[in-house]
Amino acid sequence: MFVLTGYEYFLLFLIICSLVPVSALLAAKLLGAKGTGVARRTTYESGMEPIGGAWIQFNIRYYMFALVFVIFDVETVFLYPWAVAFHKLGVLAFIEALIFIAILLIGLVYAWRKGALEWS
Amino acid sequence: MNLAEGVQFISLGILGVLMLVAALGVVLLSNIVYSAFLLGLVFVSISGLYILLNAGFVAAAQVLVYVGAVNILILFGIMLVNKREDFQPISKAWVGKAATGAVCLGLFTLLSSMVLATPWQLSTATPAGENAIEIIGLHFFSDFLLPFELASVLLLMALVGAIILARREYIPDYEPEDEQKVLTLRERPRELVATSSDNQEM
Repeated sequence: MFVLTGYEYFLLFLIICSLVPVSALLAAKLLGAKGTGVARRTTYESGMEPIGGAWIQFNIRYYMFALVFVIFDVETVFLYPWAVAFHKLGVLAFIEALIFIAILLIGLVYAWRKGALEWS
Repeated sequence: MNLAEGVQFISLGILGVLMLVAALGVVLLSNIVYSAFLLGLVFVSISGLYILLNAGFVAAAQVLVYVGAVNILILFGIMLVNKREDFQPISKAWVGKAATGAVCLGLFTLLSSMVLATPWQLSTATPAGENAIEIIGLHFFSDFLLPFELASVLLLMALVGAIILARREYIPDYEPEDEQKVLTLRERPRELVATSSDNQEM
């Protein structure tokens, strides 16, 4: 038994979304002119000359941001039911949620002080 | 207005096929970047299954945590070490492959026998559906308040631990042997501080 409402629009949206890139690529393939010269392999119009491969090794600095991001992403999952039920919950729940955020803010301050959010 | 029975059935079939094909791709493709992206596809199709099972909140949490965070972290990890290394082919690799195959097959038969042996009973209660997230929220701030607040402490511990582990600013007690290092993670150069002295950056 399926009780959730409004998902038929979601399904329609999903189908249209998946059709758009396919049709765009297909239209380019069908309608586009087929050149065979050397210029075909170069970057589009006045783009830069490509140097090296596209599969480069990323800087390790990004990893710290990713780690901090994951923690606050999980926090979002906990705050989501609070936001949905906000009109039914009182001021007390608001304060409790503030405590929840404050405890995690300690972590953010710690990360900040430790220089985890700095670039260099 | 609801999704019709037929549409649900077709969606279930498409999601199942998508999940199986993507999961096979994760294992079989040799390029691990493609594997990581296909793992994201597996997570997305699992979230679609949750929606079909009326579990909207679990689906949202699946997308948020697994696709948005865990998979991104995996991709980051791959991109950080995405350096062509000259791996030596292992002699007698088939022994390991055969052992892995045997273990996986054993696990599969164990799980499938359990699935077949379990008497699945359909619950007659109406699923909460739309109200589920609201009910979860009401529970969070009434009888599950302490676990809710403890979760923030747990997340704080995870954050602090992750930062300490990722920064690696303490000198280890023993010197790791540098020989036979196949995979090395390139790090930015930084001064190591002794465990006893204060951190200068504080």
